[in-house]
Amino acid sequence: MTNQKRTRSINLAQMRKGFALKPLSVGIAGILLSACADDRQEAKIYTSLEDCTRDNPGATAQCEAAYKTALDEAARTSPRFNSEYDCEYEFGANQCRQAESGGSSFFVPFMAGYMVSSLLSPNRYYSQPIYTSYSPYSPFRSRWISADGYVFDGDIRKRDYRVSPDVYKPKPTVNRTINRGGFGSSVRAKSSWGSSSRSGGWGG
Amino acid sequence: MLRVTSIPRPDWKKQAAKYGFHFHTLYGEPYWDESAYYQFTLKQIEQDLEDPTAELHQMCLEVVDWVVRDERLLKQCQIPEAHWEAVASSWHQRQPSLYSRLDLVYSGQGPAKLLENNADTPTSLYESGFWQWLWLEQQVDTGHLPRQADQFNSLQEKLIARMQEIARHYGINQMHFACCKGTEEDRGTVQYLQDCAIAAGLQADFVFIEDIGLADTGVFTDLSDHPITECFKLYPWEFMLREDYADALKGAAVNWIEPLWKTVLSNKALLPLLWQRFPNHPNLLPAFFENELPAALPETGSGQWIKKPLFSREGANISMLNSKGELQSQLSDGPYGEEGFIIQAYEPLPRFDENYTLIGSWLVDNQPAGISIREDTSPITQDLSRYLPHIIA
Repeated sequence: MTNQKRTRSINLAQMRKGFALKPLSVGIAGILLSACADDRQEAKIYTSLEDCTRDNPGATAQCEAAYKTALDEAARTSPRFNSEYDCEYEFGANQCRQAESGGSSFFVPFMAGYMVSSLLSPNRYYSQPIYTSYSPYSPFRSRWISADGYVFDGDIRKRDYRVSPDVYKPKPTVNRTINRGGFGSSVRAKSSWGSSSRSGGWGG
Repeated sequence: MLRVTSIPRPDWKKQAAKYGFHFHTLYGEPYWDESAYYQFTLKQIEQDLEDPTAELHQMCLEVVDWVVRDERLLKQCQIPEAHWEAVASSWHQRQPSLYSRLDLVYSGQGPAKLLENNADTPTSLYESGFWQWLWLEQQVDTGHLPRQADQFNSLQEKLIARMQEIARHYGINQMHFACCKGTEEDRGTVQYLQDCAIAAGLQADFVFIEDIGLADTGVFTDLSDHPITECFKLYPWEFMLREDYADALKGAAVNWIEPLWKTVLSNKALLPLLWQRFPNHPNLLPAFFENELPAALPETGSGQWIKKPLFSREGANISMLNSKGELQSQLSDGPYGEEGFIIQAYEPLPRFDENYTLIGSWLVDNQPAGISIREDTSPITQDLSRYLPHIIA
């Protein structure tokens, strides 16, 4: 059709929401796999400490640091589920463990590996946890995914990726956040009014 | 323009769960309704909706250009004086906008009439850009609709392309997205825009409006203490300019989407200003500021006027006035009105069976990008409206 008035095609797989069952929270992946940046840098996925040292003989300390960084990051950002069932539905049987944070308890998948770039460059080196799924119900089955549900291309046999380094506008510095909640007070004020309206939102 | 009853796809709720469309039923009432669809001719779409939408948008931009140069008008729009300069500079810098929705009264014939411009925080985007698109594809695939059936809906394609332009404009590969807590509908709209941003090659981080923080360095932060430098916000400018962080806006130097100049368009002061600038334009309804009524109101088709507050949302605080501008009945209650009112000629929504039908006409930047149809059993308030898909045939 030459004069079609509607969107030509939509990648339906991309429109599927990452998690089949909604996690309590998901983390934020620190890297971007941009399709258009041409100065991306090499990144590798390792599934164990030994995997890394085998690939980088003489860099045991760096491998250990990268592994530890990824584990710390996983503790902070891994997807969290209400129940073991929800977690296993997404990641597969025996792929989840109970964890606690801030007094609440939830289930998280085991870190399946970690993605490292510029391992030997102390300033630019990068490491983040990577997950995979063994669940037949999950779109992530046999794929690598990041903490926020980003699905890497190829299956888990693929270990080499190119990731986008920080070539974009530099971000301003933040040392600490001094307070929060300076936006949103109008909602609290106006929401107290009636409830005949079905729409709780502030869109129009 | 016809209303055609139709058989719902048997598995549509299952598919809604799969694609994350969680607000198809709201407060126990159906919102997405595929038991019928609206059918338009290509001529109706192109001549009566698409072209006027593009033209109305250009007229609205002329009003922005007029308002930001005139302190009297900025005041009339109830924009706080402390932000006049920022509004004007966001306009003069041509800070890129993403999208808008014009609400139009249209019955299939005669000119469509502009009811309102949702230029700052429009919703029903996901169900328009993706969900009704999917409905058409599947109804055609299963033979329930003819193969040549089309839809006026290039939203998703245009949103992705626009996100790429915005990323290039600001030199970014990451953007934040924000809405308020406790509303599945707003969260769904923002999630959809995140999906479009990701398809455009951006990293899309989310933060709730209430969780935004202020750092020691004057920038806004998300919950991970990452700085917010570019941010789509599904939260009205007229609120942001009056809240605690309003004073921090300048120092935080965020490139907001929608940009600050949109506060002129999402304001109902736009309607009388359009009428002043383009009197008797076929796509406009007569409108006046309540405190500047002419000695005699012009005659209108219905002989009645609707009075609404400058900042009303969800159809709150609306009254019906008679032909002399005297109060006839109060149609809805609400928390708005301190900021003043406008009146607009009452143009009844067309009725199809027992339903009153409103057309939302989308723009991505300045390009018409499709329509959405909402139906209500009430002729004015659109409080319990349902969303219906449409086809061109």
